[in-house]
Amino acid sequence: MKNIFYKYSVLALSAGVLLTSCDPEIDAPSKSSGEADFAKYVAVGNSLTAGFQDNGLYLEGQRSSYPALMANQFAEVGGGSFVQPLFTEAQKNGSGYLRLSGFTATGSPITETVTENRAIRSASPVLFTKFTDPVQNLGVPGLKVADIKVQGYGSAQGNPYFERITPDAQAGQTYLQRVQQSTDHTFFSLWLGNNDVLSYATSGGASTAASNAITPVTTFDANYAELVGALMANGQEGILATIPNVAGIPFFTTVGPRVKQTLTDNNVPGMVAITGAGKDRVQFLTSQINASENGVLFTLTGASYAALLGQPTGKYWRDLAKQVSPSQDPLIIKGTLAQLLFNYSIDTTQMFGFSGGNPWPSALLLDVNEQNNVKAATSAFNTIIKAQAEARGLALWDANAYFNTIQTGFGKNGAAYSPAFITGNLFSLDGVHLTPRGYAIAANEMIQAINAKYNSNVPLVDETQYRAVLLP
Amino acid sequence: MKRRILALLGGTLLSASAMAGGYQVNLASQRQVGMGHTGTGIQTGTASIFFNPGAMSFMRENGVTIGASLINSRIAYRAPEPTNTTALADNDFGTPFQVYGVFGINEKIKVGLGIYTPFGSGVRWGEEWNGKYGLNEIDLKAVYFQPTVSYQITDQLGIGVGFVVATGGVNLQRVLPVQGQDGQEGSIELDGGAETAYGFNAGVYFEPTEQLSIGINYRSKVDIKVNDGSVTFRNIPASAMGNFPDGTEFSASLPMPSTLSLGVGFKPTDQLTLAVDVSRVQWSAYENLRFDFTQPVAGSTVSESDRKYEDAMIYRIGGEYQLNEALALRAGAYYDQTPVQDGYLTPETPDSDSRGLSVGVGYKVSDNFSLDASFLYINKAKRTDAADKSRGIAGTYKSIAYIPGLAVNFQF
Repeated sequence: MKNIFYKYSVLALSAGVLLTSCDPEIDAPSKSSGEADFAKYVAVGNSLTAGFQDNGLYLEGQRSSYPALMANQFAEVGGGSFVQPLFTEAQKNGSGYLRLSGFTATGSPITETVTENRAIRSASPVLFTKFTDPVQNLGVPGLKVADIKVQGYGSAQGNPYFERITPDAQAGQTYLQRVQQSTDHTFFSLWLGNNDVLSYATSGGASTAASNAITPVTTFDANYAELVGALMANGQEGILATIPNVAGIPFFTTVGPRVKQTLTDNNVPGMVAITGAGKDRVQFLTSQINASENGVLFTLTGASYAALLGQPTGKYWRDLAKQVSPSQDPLIIKGTLAQLLFNYSIDTTQMFGFSGGNPWPSALLLDVNEQNNVKAATSAFNTIIKAQAEARGLALWDANAYFNTIQTGFGKNGAAYSPAFITGNLFSLDGVHLTPRGYAIAANEMIQAINAKYNSNVPLVDETQYRAVLLP
Repeated sequence: MKRRILALLGGTLLSASAMAGGYQVNLASQRQVGMGHTGTGIQTGTASIFFNPGAMSFMRENGVTIGASLINSRIAYRAPEPTNTTALADNDFGTPFQVYGVFGINEKIKVGLGIYTPFGSGVRWGEEWNGKYGLNEIDLKAVYFQPTVSYQITDQLGIGVGFVVATGGVNLQRVLPVQGQDGQEGSIELDGGAETAYGFNAGVYFEPTEQLSIGINYRSKVDIKVNDGSVTFRNIPASAMGNFPDGTEFSASLPMPSTLSLGVGFKPTDQLTLAVDVSRVQWSAYENLRFDFTQPVAGSTVSESDRKYEDAMIYRIGGEYQLNEALALRAGAYYDQTPVQDGYLTPETPDSDSRGLSVGVGYKVSDNFSLDASFLYINKAKRTDAADKSRGIAGTYKSIAYIPGLAVNFQF
């Protein structure tokens, strides 16, 4: 009997040892930097690189910028620290941003602008609290390839985001010169060129401002080559990324399908709109809305006006008058409105969107011709980017191809993703920039391209730890 | 009856980690667990109710057995390379149990009642891991009540059949990819008790010589159905509540597959019993997992994903050595094929081919009272799967379990 108890206690003891010490284990994949050196990483780009989202740059977005996420992963394979021009906690809302406050009865989102705790030091021109320490995230919202050699781009008259990170003593320096100052980086990413076509597209091709023009291909070619050259001055490795097709982002895919449905339901065969920057009218068929060939795209900014289709309304022009009027004096606004209506030959008593007298505004529509301009430019720019990657032996993330492949959506780790506005989890409330989750997914795509090119094994980001759109 | 017994046993007793192929739990008798869970082709005492009702008629004494196992299982997870995200499912202790009573009407006819837990699953991943939108935790349990009768046709041949009354329940929780302004994510919990379902367990036992015995056993498929199960949503942002309506109920159905077993027993000496079992589990009955909701959840009244299990084999070998009048030593091993095809792995059953090694002892305290203790170690092969066909969570999974068990027997 004693013997038995001894045996039981041995059994129990050995069981106890097993229970505590023998958790199942799965060997970690070997991490390596391969042929790349991630010791000091710099990121060059525009708003996407800065972590811009929800139509603003703010601390949370900066923290989940794809360069910040990539730098975290690089740190696993020898990467050093990565300094971003972060807003302070007290000014964490940075430029201010859009927050979802609810939905209309028909399901359209209602947004509000966050205005507290911003980092605005001057309202006119808008300027932000400066951050003049050296930074490795050189992402500047609004930056175009066309802008990189503009003198004074970092001055108070330039780009407020670049001004923010430009030391006062160097106010005249160009973005390219700023990049050239970085000589000791060992790795870089360059995702730039989106705005060279996007600002034309998001303004509906209606703007006469030079800042909204499509960059000439020759300018793009020369500037881009010079920028890549500057980043590779000491033989550094890096990754380039192409420009996604603007027709695939929620900014252009949200309102159109809804309008199309309404028109189809009411047997309306088509619409009248203004094209370009003048007052020329253009007609299009209902079937052309968001069609892949000869399609027209409605901007997200047109969402509230789409509800007024067919009504005798001048709301768009009144809103525009308020916005562009040199003074907020009601009389002056009234004068501005009259001038606008005259310039564009508008008769607000006619049916909005369905009549030559009261057409759909150009700024809220990318019509066939404008879209062709966008497509041609995107294609030309991407050819240049790919050629640079090829010629210089750099990694390439074909973001254009990637965003084309996900148009129908995909599932990952039990969650569904698509380019759908709000519900797609990828795009933030501005319909152009990504959510933190979206940036994590973009970072992973880039890391995979880097791993493939440099035989490295940089671990991927766990995207489920980052948020998508926050609902009220 | 059902409720009273469940209450008697205590709710926590019922959860059982799935530590065999799929969500089958092969822990029906402590003596047999010690012998690699063989038992179709040998006399297993009261446990014949489960292993082979045909052998029950060979019992010479009335008996009652009460036993339970303590499943301590862990599942390691690593996201697909080159991600180095990991998780560990630290599952609650599962306690599958068994109660058997056998009573002889006469020399030829024996009747019995068994209560046991042949299926179940208990996996707890938590709310942080990267598969949280797939599954946080599952608790699936099935309890079988089996009145059984066995008839000894000749000295060598017995047949028996049991009528299975099955019940159980399921609880499933996962995080929903909707977040409020405070960053809190929503979650969904499905909870429901099963409707009573029926099946049978039949066997033939043949003992041509004192050394050799053969048995065949068939346990039928039982479909466990949940109707009017509750759906609870938590932390849903106000603007999304329309998509996740309160008061929603669900129904679902899960097959407990049929199992056909063939067993052979061999007694080279009076002290030594060897047993071999081969089982075929008809897992192909599990084609998909479908939840029907009474109101649309995230826009749909149906949530369905493929499982497409395949029939699987289990091979077992075990032995018992009667050291002396009082003490028996046991050991066994088995190999249990996974029913889960490539591409269909899920976090609720991250299954793969499993190997079991067991030891056990039996001790006869008196003529009427004996004890059985067992210890089973299960090691499932590491498995990497894209999980793209089951809407599962891609990655590499590795499960192990340590399962001690104890039973008391009364003979009279």
